Amino acid sequence: MNARKFLAAGTIAVLSLFGTAAWAQQSGEGAKPSDPQIVGVVSAANQIDINEAKMALKKTKNDQVKQFAQQMIDDHTKLQKSVDDLAKKLKVKAEPSDISKSLHTADAAEMKKLRGLRGKAFDKEYIDHEVAYHQQVIDAASKVLIPNAQNAELKSALEGAAPLLQGHLDHAKQIQSSMGGSASAGTHKHHKKA
Amino acid sequence: MSSSALVLPAAHIARRGNLFRGRPRCVLSLFLLSAMNLLLAHAAVAQNPQQGSSASHTPGAEVIIKNFSFQPSQLSVRPGESIEFKNQDIYAHTVTADDGSFDSGLIQPGSSWKLTVPKAGTIAYHCGPHPNMKATLVAASGAGQQPAAGSAGGSSPGFNPPKSPQEFHPILVNFTAALLPLAFLSDLLGLWSKRASLHNAAAWMVLYAAIITPFTAAAGWWWKTKSAGALPPSIIAVHEWLGTSLAVIFILLAIWRWRPQHRNTAPGNVYLVITAIVVLALIYQGSLGGLMVFGR
Repeated sequence: MNARKFLAAGTIAVLSLFGTAAWAQQSGEGAKPSDPQIVGVVSAANQIDINEAKMALKKTKNDQVKQFAQQMIDDHTKLQKSVDDLAKKLKVKAEPSDISKSLHTADAAEMKKLRGLRGKAFDKEYIDHEVAYHQQVIDAASKVLIPNAQNAELKSALEGAAPLLQGHLDHAKQIQSSMGGSASAGTHKHHKKA
Repeated sequence: MSSSALVLPAAHIARRGNLFRGRPRCVLSLFLLSAMNLLLAHAAVAQNPQQGSSASHTPGAEVIIKNFSFQPSQLSVRPGESIEFKNQDIYAHTVTADDGSFDSGLIQPGSSWKLTVPKAGTIAYHCGPHPNMKATLVAASGAGQQPAAGSAGGSSPGFNPPKSPQEFHPILVNFTAALLPLAFLSDLLGLWSKRASLHNAAAWMVLYAAIITPFTAAAGWWWKTKSAGALPPSIIAVHEWLGTSLAVIFILLAIWRWRPQHRNTAPGNVYLVITAIVVLALIYQGSLGGLMVFGR
């Protein structure tokens, strides 16, 4: 009887192990995106940043933020064009994935939040978000997208975009620290050019 | 007489109008004089930093902006030198000094921007929109020059002797460039004034040119070898072979000019026409050299 008990316990253990693995595979965290899905994620990330920058351009009165937003539109439009060109060349069509879906969900919430803010509060939220967002995209690129890219050209294109994203992150952080200094100095004053 | 020949050989020749009398002493004194001239001119030219040290100076310094980097990331320049920043990336970038001393504004892809190095010292710069792009300019004033203070305006240059064979090229080239045109003019003047001494002087100058020019050419070749492709290939290709040809032509002209019984007489028209053509070639050759040193 002991042997039968062991067999049953063993079977349950093995089955549950397989089950967990299968579940992990289906969930967003452990998913390995295909090349079309990677193109989809990059395109979504570009589009989201361009849309938020367009809103910032309309709402902000801060020259630094305005310049940054314009740069995001210019740089990400160019990055998207190079992604489109490469996808066309490789005959890869962008596909949605859990990662791109979660990016869109987070973006919808952020856009709603930004719509409700104005003046300095808007600038701060936009720049803070840009810092977090670029950090998130850099992490996704280095940990998920680049290691899983099958096509060598796609892989090197992703690696080539890394310094661009790092540059945006550094720039956003710079503005963040410069705004942090001025925000406490004159909270009630409207932004004035020095 | 012997002392006067040593001190004033040119006057001696002019007075006597004859080279053959007391010739060994005369030749010796002339060589001494030319050696002295060479030393004096050497010092005078070497004092000019633009000419004397142009070997270590890269004409047309440029920085390429590509793949989110400035290439080269460290560039040695001189205060007052102009640097061209060429944006070959697909994104717009800026060239912004960390200390705020210069800022290009956005340089669009395919465009370029020129900077005149404002001061001596190490100048760190970055790209405004992409602060992770960083590079430095190391602006050093030339050896013997006053550092920093007044370097933009032009401090008095110190003595800067040539340190390698190629640095003799811009010095020797002065003799090559001066002697043949002067010989030609001296012959023309001799024809006009009917003075044998002027033809005599011309013969000597052609001889000097023939002796010095091979050294000028050799120093030039040395420079080219040492520069390892840093000189513009299209210009250097013409300059090196025209220069070598000129050295050979000078020797042939000197042999022709020094035929027995012809040293003191007016040269023929064929000789004069050929010399005129060589002088024109020499001027063109000089302009190519200037193009490489000054960049335009």
